[in-house]
Amino acid sequence: MQDPPKRYVDPVVEAYKKDIDRTLIRENLKLTVEERFRNAMALQRFAEELRRAGREARSRRS
Amino acid sequence: MTDFEALLRTLAQNRVNFIIIGGAAATAHGSARLIQNLEIMYDRSPENLNRLVDALAKYKPYLRGAPPGLPFRWEGATLRNGLNFTLVTSLGAIDLLGEIPGGGDYDELKSGAVELQVFSAHCLCLSLPQWRQSRMKPSVKTRRGASSFHSSGISARSSARFSNLVNWPRNLRGTVPIGPFLCLAMIKSANPLRLSSSFL
Repeated sequence: MQDPPKRYVDPVVEAYKKDIDRTLIRENLKLTVEERFRNAMALQRFAEELRRAGREARSRRS
Repeated sequence: MTDFEALLRTLAQNRVNFIIIGGAAATAHGSARLIQNLEIMYDRSPENLNRLVDALAKYKPYLRGAPPGLPFRWEGATLRNGLNFTLVTSLGAIDLLGEIPGGGDYDELKSGAVELQVFSAHCLCLSLPQWRQSRMKPSVKTRRGASSFHSSGISARSSARFSNLVNWPRNLRGTVPIGPFLCLAMIKSANPLRLSSSFL
């Protein structure tokens, strides 16, 4: 019986992989497409709120 | 789906001392990058650890990416023995860091942090100089006493994400020369002969 072909391992990818948190990617992949869209919308709302809060803080200081 | 509003309100209502860091802090200072989760640096005083445990306990925190069924106990001792935790809760993903690379801990950073009112929750956020400083030194300061697997494994993952973020300003710097170059090319494109000669 033939051994299965060895999977090519890119040393550059491997070197970078250790520095990347892939847990969030895995969590995202568990979601349905609709859930991913909803998540993206929630993230966008949070980002807008943070930017608004940041603007407010900067205007208080100036 | 991460409910950021509920996460921040819960932390604020339980009087947890924390500072918003990472991508969320960068966003508050104007970054246009979309963030993926909430990262906070928490005060490691015993009282605050208890408040943090109480705040998140009902949302069933668990180590993100870890296989189910691990004997992970969400309690003060776990937080004391560890340092950085990447968690998933019923409210969504949250990263808790005891220290940030190049930045320091809560006590060192709270005086320079900016006060924000996010979703009507009062919280602290890294100032821009502090955020920049934290990007300059990507190596994670690891607490020698923190020997639990949570600390060792998770802080390595957190450092990874930070080193990713470190690339952000570097990437921006990389794009800076492109602007004038493109302008020059557009101006020169009015005279195709000169443009072609300059490119040849």
